[in-house]
Amino acid sequence: MVNKVTVKDLVCYYGNKCVLNLLNIQIMKNEILNIIGPANSGKTTFLRTLNRMNEYNLLYSYDGKIYLDGKNIFTMKVEQLRRRISMLFAMPTPFPMSIYDNIVYAPKHLKLIKSKAEQNIIVERVLKDVSLWDEVKDRLNWPAMKISGGQQQRLCIARVLAINPEVILFDEPCSGLDPISTAKVEQTMLRLKQKYTIVFVTNNVKQAFRIGDRTAFFFMGELIEINNTKQLFHSPNNKKTADYITGRFG
Amino acid sequence: MKINPKLSQQLSYCILFLVTICAITPVVFIFFLIIKNGVPNLTIKFLTSMTKDGGIFPAIIGTFTIVVCSIIIVFPVGVFAAIYLNEYAKRNLLTRLIKLAIVNLAGIPSVVYGLFGLSIFVMFCKLGVSIISGALTLSIMELPVIITTARNALNNVPYSFREASLALGMSRWQTVKYIVLPNAMPGILTGTILSIARISGETAPILFTAAAFYVPHLPHSIFDQVMTLPYHLYITSTQVPCVSKTILFGTALTLLIIVLTISLFAIIARLYFRRHRKW
Repeated sequence: MVNKVTVKDLVCYYGNKCVLNLLNIQIMKNEILNIIGPANSGKTTFLRTLNRMNEYNLLYSYDGKIYLDGKNIFTMKVEQLRRRISMLFAMPTPFPMSIYDNIVYAPKHLKLIKSKAEQNIIVERVLKDVSLWDEVKDRLNWPAMKISGGQQQRLCIARVLAINPEVILFDEPCSGLDPISTAKVEQTMLRLKQKYTIVFVTNNVKQAFRIGDRTAFFFMGELIEINNTKQLFHSPNNKKTADYITGRFG
Repeated sequence: MKINPKLSQQLSYCILFLVTICAITPVVFIFFLIIKNGVPNLTIKFLTSMTKDGGIFPAIIGTFTIVVCSIIIVFPVGVFAAIYLNEYAKRNLLTRLIKLAIVNLAGIPSVVYGLFGLSIFVMFCKLGVSIISGALTLSIMELPVIITTARNALNNVPYSFREASLALGMSRWQTVKYIVLPNAMPGILTGTILSIARISGETAPILFTAAAFYVPHLPHSIFDQVMTLPYHLYITSTQVPCVSKTILFGTALTLLIIVLTISLFAIIARLYFRRHRKW
């Protein structure tokens, strides 16, 4: 296993409140790393620190280092970083454009693709990657906001794939979806593991068990335990972890 | 006392309906009056001949150029200022003061802008009484309105669109240019349409800065004085004796038509942006 992202002594604050305390974590290449924990445990803060989405919040401050392939992410150009570590949000956020334009939006303006033919190839490839192609191939010029919520979320994954990132951060991507759509998103993630590294924040413990290679349990801004998913679920070392995954709290 | 729900429903419906009628009656009445009295006078000769032949052509040209010039100035400045304030400016005391100042600027009487324009553009910048002085004065008057409506329109674009775009590696400016601005455009243009109407009808700001009582020729450049429709209307109705009423109403009707024509461009642009936005 190759190390993809290394987090060293990360501390995050909102104002004076410490929301992540001395976090050390390693994310391997081509794994799905689950992050579970109750509300307010710093999961989302951690995720948004990885691609520096928190920096627009004036209250936010951090200390510590994060390396992507050995390079400090805080000294990288932020646009460059987000092309390599992209993100998917809890609610589907298609732009008010056609399905097709949603996908080619970023690659086109980032000048990753030149010809129209190349665009078509990418659209087909990424839609097939999220198994949405058969559902929408006849209506690519439809407004993206007219398709169902589950389809929208998969479209958003496709949109992320179109810029070909290395790491994809999923911030509770199934929280608003029905079970069938959830299953489709999960299948997609398992397939994407071949090519991408995935960090997956979820509130759904069962879902974490189903898809993650390793699982990290956060509680009150601290990493309580990180282990192989099966091991963590079957024999947690910490009592808090055990309580959380068995549903005694949280 | 308890009123039964059905009755209160009908009562509130009636009140709302009556208030709406009250609100639109004066407008309808004004339109009716102007059109009824103005249309007979709206001949080609009246519209295209010079003032000495009883026409209002110079005033039409004057109003049109001043309004177009000031929109050309105020639209980009206002929209860019709004983008800066909304998308880039840090939320500190200074920006809060600026925002407060902008809101307050909208409440200043227009004649004060006129005097300001006189002292700054006409005298200090030595632009003289001219189209450009008038246009600049009107621009400054409309700036707070454009900035405020543009900021509202920008605010109405969901924050999640910005985050989604940024997460794809787009820069902030690219996000504004390709996502935020196109979606805010219909709202911004609505503000612009209202501004056009207000600018066209204003007399006080151009009284000292651009308008002339009588100019025997058409303006040669933007540094010339011009006659304008609202000022012409004011002069002919108050200062010139024995002017036929139909001429006054004809002038008023022409002003209305010009406002509608210029607004039409903005309305068409707004339609274009609405079509391209696929909600």
